[in-house]
Amino acid sequence: MNAANIAEIIAFALSAFIAVAGALGMATTMSMFRSGIFLMASFMGVAGLFVLLSADLLGLLQIMMYIGGMLVMILFMVLFMQDPGGAMMADMPDMMTPVGKIFSLGLKQNDPTGTGPEEEGEGRDGDDDNMGDMDMSDMAMVTPAYRWAVWAALLTAGGLVALLLLRPAWPLASGALDPRSAERIGSLLMDKYMVGFEGAGFLILIGIVGAVFMARTGRHGAKADRDSRSAIEDTPPEIEADPLTPLAGDIGQTGPGGAA
Amino acid sequence: MTVPLTAYLVVGALLFAIGVYTVVAQRGAVMVLMGIEVILNAIGLNLIAFWRFVAPADYSAQIFTIFIITIGAVEMAVGLGIMMLLYRQRQSVQVDDYAELRG
Repeated sequence: MNAANIAEIIAFALSAFIAVAGALGMATTMSMFRSGIFLMASFMGVAGLFVLLSADLLGLLQIMMYIGGMLVMILFMVLFMQDPGGAMMADMPDMMTPVGKIFSLGLKQNDPTGTGPEEEGEGRDGDDDNMGDMDMSDMAMVTPAYRWAVWAALLTAGGLVALLLLRPAWPLASGALDPRSAERIGSLLMDKYMVGFEGAGFLILIGIVGAVFMARTGRHGAKADRDSRSAIEDTPPEIEADPLTPLAGDIGQTGPGGAA
Repeated sequence: MTVPLTAYLVVGALLFAIGVYTVVAQRGAVMVLMGIEVILNAIGLNLIAFWRFVAPADYSAQIFTIFIITIGAVEMAVGLGIMMLLYRQRQSVQVDDYAELRG
């Protein structure tokens, strides 16, 4: 066994460990911010495996698409979640699974006074609830939904690995690879898989339009909703308890709003 | 080619199982989307491993992996758009609160 083989085995073990441990940490940690970071590690590991399988273009694409694109979206959406830093769960290690305890080590706990420093993004808690007045329904939001999910996952993994034992004898081919693989992929994409390429482009266009249309505010309600909204804007409510003294002249009649 | 095909397939199976666990067990919609991404990653890894070891002359597997990544990106964008909309209406991102979307 020469040095290149040993290097390949070490690289495979490192990439596989990063991919699997990152995914496991993503699934079990109590902090959703940490989940995003673990997911990034998992993507990096899979990209390393792609490079090891001499699919360099896909390894690069994996990093650029998943980490550059999707993970930014995910971390943005994590900010909407309740308790994104897992501070609510950090001081109840009894509720965690054993693996979750490992990946939740060192999480910043909820400050009992609720006035602690909150500079760290990871320890940021969504609301200032103390541990004392938190009821079981709050706890159920952050714990795994189904206890049998662990067994379902173990069964899936065991079944898939067991299928490998029953596998047919795949004819392994060890041909020399084209050094210009990106060129081959590009010409194949534009030649044989042209329809799929165009379809993917059309799907992206529809996805952009649909996502923008859904995330737009207040323009897609029912007609009655729109009418009531514009009716409210036509007659603005009186300002109650206005601290400012009223001006001498009626500015509102000559302002830009009044001229319209 | 020192590392056998089976090793890559085992890694893919583990990633797939972890993704299934995340989708089933987590309550947050973002976590469910993350689990789906891990599942897609496992599928891509399996495709590339089979391409490298069984049919290295045919580059179609890489095309299909590119398609998987593309569709995953679109799904993520649309899913997060739906989540933004639902969060704005109900102030909640827990999937159990969306049970009436079942139709």
